[in-house]
Amino acid sequence: MTKLQAKNIVKHFDHNGNAVLALDGVNLDVQEGDFVCIVGPSGCGKSTFLNIVAGLEKPDSGEVLLNDKSLSTPGPDRTMVFQEGALFPWLKVIDNVEFGLKMAGIPKDERRQISQRYLDMMQLTKFADSYTYQLSTGMKQRVAIARALAMDPEILLMDEPFAALDSQTRDLLLVELQLIWERTKKTIIFVTHNISESVVLGNRVVVFKNRPSKIKKEIVIDYRRPRLAEDENLQKYYHQIVEALKSEVIAQIKDEVQ
Amino acid sequence: MSEKIVAEKKLQNLHDAANASLLVAIFVGVWQLVFVLGLFPKIALPSPIMVAQSFDKIILNMSLPIGIAVTLGRLVAGFSISIILGTFIGFAMIRFKGFGRTLNSFSAGLLAFPSIAWVPFSILFIGFNDLGIIFVVIMSSIFSVMISTYSSIRNIPSIYLDAAKNMGAKGFSLFRHVTIPAATPSLIIGLRQGWSFAWHAIIGAEILMSIVGLGHILSVGRDFLDMSEVIASMITIFVIGLVVDRFLLYQIEERVRRKWGLDHHR
Repeated sequence: MTKLQAKNIVKHFDHNGNAVLALDGVNLDVQEGDFVCIVGPSGCGKSTFLNIVAGLEKPDSGEVLLNDKSLSTPGPDRTMVFQEGALFPWLKVIDNVEFGLKMAGIPKDERRQISQRYLDMMQLTKFADSYTYQLSTGMKQRVAIARALAMDPEILLMDEPFAALDSQTRDLLLVELQLIWERTKKTIIFVTHNISESVVLGNRVVVFKNRPSKIKKEIVIDYRRPRLAEDENLQKYYHQIVEALKSEVIAQIKDEVQ
Repeated sequence: MSEKIVAEKKLQNLHDAANASLLVAIFVGVWQLVFVLGLFPKIALPSPIMVAQSFDKIILNMSLPIGIAVTLGRLVAGFSISIILGTFIGFAMIRFKGFGRTLNSFSAGLLAFPSIAWVPFSILFIGFNDLGIIFVVIMSSIFSVMISTYSSIRNIPSIYLDAAKNMGAKGFSLFRHVTIPAATPSLIIGLRQGWSFAWHAIIGAEILMSIVGLGHILSVGRDFLDMSEVIASMITIFVIGLVVDRFLLYQIEERVRRKWGLDHHR
């Protein structure tokens, strides 16, 4: 069943008063329970695309459908894990996890139950009453994931959530995220510039072209899980993506030099 | 380990207090020395003892305690109105963008406008009375509160608002649960600044348009060529300004900063 459909998404953004075409007709179908990774050169508009799906930005034309219904505003059915975590420093960890539930008007007892469950899942139980400044970057991202999952969204959007992590923490979270995906059966769209991350996580890896961006290539990765970053058998997928990206990165560098 | 940190902090505080006392002692010593050398006539520069006697006098005849009470009463009244109105206008500036931008473009002029310059206007507009003084206090601090409310909210990192909207927050609950707490550290800094404007304004206004209050004691001292009373009153003004900032506003700011982890940036 098709969960999410992006139809011909076009988006310009303003660069020193000039309208720059960022997304030039992006079409993407995501099946229920799928794990889709989007890779592309930096600045190609992959995060913009995710923001449009989240409803935080509006496309100039085209539309996004969730369960065949058109979307235009942000909503808790598509929760986002941001690169910086975007946790609220004025709230304790547990209150951060419960924030969306509180906004949805869920009573306190029920909120506690749900948040405890996801804190357990992310191994954060001991830190429920900490403030975010007391956590490491890796733990903050765990809280951000717990917070997004607690809303029980239709689809989980992740915008380079592991980009700021050291490689050991990242490898650990890559495995954990696969286990969580298998357990919760969530549909996930994961944006990254890290190719090996995309290969480890994605059922499908979608490669974005350099600006003006559209989808250049799609690679299906049918391989057992949980996958590890160092798995030799993933190399061939890795190289396919590198190959697809190479010309795009060169084009991007040319753009920047000009 | 935390006990050790607490002990260290206590020692640090003690150290700071000792240094502050030393500075005061040196200041009084130099003052006494200048007095003994007779560089200035007694009427222009009394000794520390003479100022202490003045303190004794204005405390015993109740003009100082009453002055402090009246001044602080006016200040609290005026500054409270400033906070309420200023915050409200600041919110309106956020809500109505054009209005906000326009008003903000006048902010430099409004903030730099000297409080004393409101006094003649206030005397003619309201009258030579308590309300006139409170009016000066309000006009001197409201713009600071207003502009700091506006800029505190505008400077909230958009990622907080995006994250909140993404989790279904909107309208008033977005405002209450995200906008206000996200702006709080900066709002408190604005309040401290507003307080200092209000404090400047009230003393100035009282010198010129009051028959009671700390500023009035200053002007009586001047009229009667009583320099020790002037100095005693100045010391009182200094101490009150210091105490309110250090032991009230600064403490509130510190608490918020600690809770937010803002002191953990290295």
